[in-house]
Amino acid sequence: MSHDASPALFELRSVTKTFGATRALDSVNLELHAGEVHVLAGGNGAGKSTLIKILSGAISDYQGELCARGLPLRFADPGAARRHGVLTIHQELSLVPTLSITDNVLLAQGGRGWSFVSRRRASQQAAQACLGVGLDVSAETLVEALSISDRQLVEIARALHMGGARLVIFDEPTSALSDVESRRLLDRVEQLRASGCAVVYITHRMHEIRRLADRITVLRDGQVVLTRTRDELDDGELVRAMLGHDPSDQVRSGPAHVGRPRLTVRELPLGDGRVSFELHEGEILGLAGLMGSFAAALLLELFGAGAAARAERVQLEGRPFAPRSPGEALAHGVALLASDRSESVIASLSVLANATLSSLRAYTRLGFVSGARERADVQLHGARIALGAPSLAADAGTLSGGNQQKLALVRCLLTRPRVLLLDDPTRGVDVGARAEVHERVRELAQQGASVLLFSSDLDELCELCDRVLCLRRGSVVFESRRGDFDRERLLRALLGTSA
Amino acid sequence: MTTLRWRAARLLEHSAARALVPLLCVLLLGALFHADGAFFDWQAHRSMLREISVVGILACGMTLVIVTAGIDLSVGSLVGLCAVCVALFTMPLGLPDGVGVLAVLALGAAAGATCGALVAYPRLQPFIVTLAMMVFARGLAKWLAGGQKVTRSFRGPDGDFVTVPSPRLFEAIDTRVLGDNVSVVTLIFLGCAFGCWLVLSRMRIGRYLYAVGGNFEAARLSGVPVRSTLVFAYALCGLLAAVAGICQAAQETHGDPETGMGYELDAIAMVVLGGTSLAGGRGGVGLTLIGALTLGYLQKTLSLNAYSTEARLMLTGAILIAAVLFQRRLARRAA
Ligand SMILES: Nc1ncnc2c1ncn2[C@@H]1O[C@H](COP(=O)(O)OP(=O)(O)OP(=O)(O)O)[C@@H](O)[C@H]1O
Ligand SMILES: [Mg+2]
Repeated sequence: MSHDASPALFELRSVTKTFGATRALDSVNLELHAGEVHVLAGGNGAGKSTLIKILSGAISDYQGELCARGLPLRFADPGAARRHGVLTIHQELSLVPTLSITDNVLLAQGGRGWSFVSRRRASQQAAQACLGVGLDVSAETLVEALSISDRQLVEIARALHMGGARLVIFDEPTSALSDVESRRLLDRVEQLRASGCAVVYITHRMHEIRRLADRITVLRDGQVVLTRTRDELDDGELVRAMLGHDPSDQVRSGPAHVGRPRLTVRELPLGDGRVSFELHEGEILGLAGLMGSFAAALLLELFGAGAAARAERVQLEGRPFAPRSPGEALAHGVALLASDRSESVIASLSVLANATLSSLRAYTRLGFVSGARERADVQLHGARIALGAPSLAADAGTLSGGNQQKLALVRCLLTRPRVLLLDDPTRGVDVGARAEVHERVRELAQQGASVLLFSSDLDELCELCDRVLCLRRGSVVFESRRGDFDRERLLRALLGTSA
Repeated sequence: MTTLRWRAARLLEHSAARALVPLLCVLLLGALFHADGAFFDWQAHRSMLREISVVGILACGMTLVIVTAGIDLSVGSLVGLCAVCVALFTMPLGLPDGVGVLAVLALGAAAGATCGALVAYPRLQPFIVTLAMMVFARGLAKWLAGGQKVTRSFRGPDGDFVTVPSPRLFEAIDTRVLGDNVSVVTLIFLGCAFGCWLVLSRMRIGRYLYAVGGNFEAARLSGVPVRSTLVFAYALCGLLAAVAGICQAAQETHGDPETGMGYELDAIAMVVLGGTSLAGGRGGVGLTLIGALTLGYLQKTLSLNAYSTEARLMLTGAILIAAVLFQRRLARRAA
């Protein structure tokens, strides 16, 4: 290969990193070249995030060495990595929510604590950076007022804005973005490559790998399974390398039987519009929408976590349903899986306590928790969904991103919901786990539960749903039954290019 | 050698093991500077336990509040208020001991619940709410006591001074049992610690306390009754402050409106020395117990060696920081 003549831009040589008894990385070798997009693939907990934390200076105690242009070095902290031109967009966002976009951009630039900044210039620059990634909001907006996908864009804008980049690392940047939004991001990545940067890109989405990758490295259990160029590797081989076995996702064959209406929503005010729909027993109803479609807000509203309770507008099994708190919704058998892990998993709590947090009443007698029964149930549900946790007593914060998402799902399932509200349930979940999550959801519907699924992944909607509603600005603009819709139709409906 | 280091690292993954390191260091200091063997006398340990008991009771309640990512600055003042009230109820008012105790416990819990409600519903910051309660309760105590200590000699309704016998309750608390080996206050402290341990690690509400402290929003979305959980934490903390106040009055045999000044800071120090983080969501009463012993032995060793109060305060401050820094390093190493 042509690269072999010059030393790689960055290179990892037999890097090993252990957390307690967990070997997150096991003598990993990796070469990153300028002008090349290097995709890191692998299941949840394979060690991808750990690897990039080493590259970006977030972890500095590891064995093995990191070389830049053949010279060994070690980043003591993220600032050092930044000075060497390594910019990182982490999986779990690292913005300060109480500050404005401008301030967050300034923060990342570092600089000296005592130097003065021209507020106006900084604000203009931040606005420009945002436009560059297609985010059209005032740079003085507080980050906490933004949706998750907007925050993701801010994070990306701020990394790209810093300039002087030699290596840009993306850790699952599109997992919260819809197809349309992620296209803009992929364009940016291609621009970066054309400008001669090295790019490390982590994703679980096959079509992104297909579009972007020049070279692919697959990790499994902390070890490199293979490194190939894109042309040398087909999709089937790639999935097998990630999972270590063949995947088993099937397309839903259609509802076993769709029963009576369970949840009726009539003229519910939402954003600029109103929505009406019925959700039946045993049905999986999909919601598609871009940013600002208020689909996620709808789920929160139904879960009693929205802005206001609205009696009469919503009926659950014929009776008015206006929960004032999530606790009340759960008591009526309505459960929500939040999309943002920081709003679903409690990092300082054990895996066990996280799993049963919503259903703790069932395990309590006279206020005391029965540990044995609890443990048995969590073990059972965890095993069915292949939850990768070192032990039930481990802090949930030490699980990999995808496993945290699975943990949140286990928590929902343990409440035995009659209505399950899913907000992007497979965000950041690997292909194997995605199939397992889908399997659980189908099984639940088979048993008569009603599922309302919002997903930023159109393929997921196509695979799972009996019916799909497309939302735009709080109104239903398109409705279709299984068999009548596919990815293309949904996309056109969302963009408003179809009748 | 490497397996030994590995074993040590595994051991230090437990927060209790990390908390024990400063305690062992302090014990070692005590054994080295034993003040002519005074440190090896059971009496020194007995009195140390007695001395930390009242603040220890506060620290148990404080642990619950700190686990919810809060803080309670009012407990010191509540000790003063409750000491005055129990003295008032049992001596000048002449209520039966049982009634007096129940009334004071209710008062403490109500004061705590008020703080909790202000933290939970308008979402005021715990620091501010409990700071206000600290000032208010101290004022109330002074007002109720008329600016003096409430003793068993007081001016009766007809204007003459009367003296009543000390209530039986006070004697019962201020004695030693188990063959004169353990003070009753120490037993009360251990009982409170056990109660809080049950709440935190065995009960549903305990899970909720950790959940609320770990991530308020996630706890709310998981259906945790976040607000009543917060009220519970502060109410229980207030209740334990009342217990501490009763013990304090019994030991002093009067109700001093100035008593308990600064106890909240000692209680927080015990919690933090145990390794419970002020960020919330982690920690436990077992750790606080270790922290209480660490602080107690430190002060005992200093006083046995006849350090002046000034030197003791300065050394305690310095050693506190050293111990917390040290534990954090250990935690990093284990991670
Ligand atoms: N701080 C930590 N403490 C203990 N274990 C950790 C810690 N961080 C990561 N791990 C463990 O290291 C392994 C690799 O985690 P990592 O986050 O790198 O996975 P990943 O490949 O990024 O997965 P995902 O696709 O789910 O994001 C996992 O088993 C995880 O539980
Ligand atoms: Mg990851």
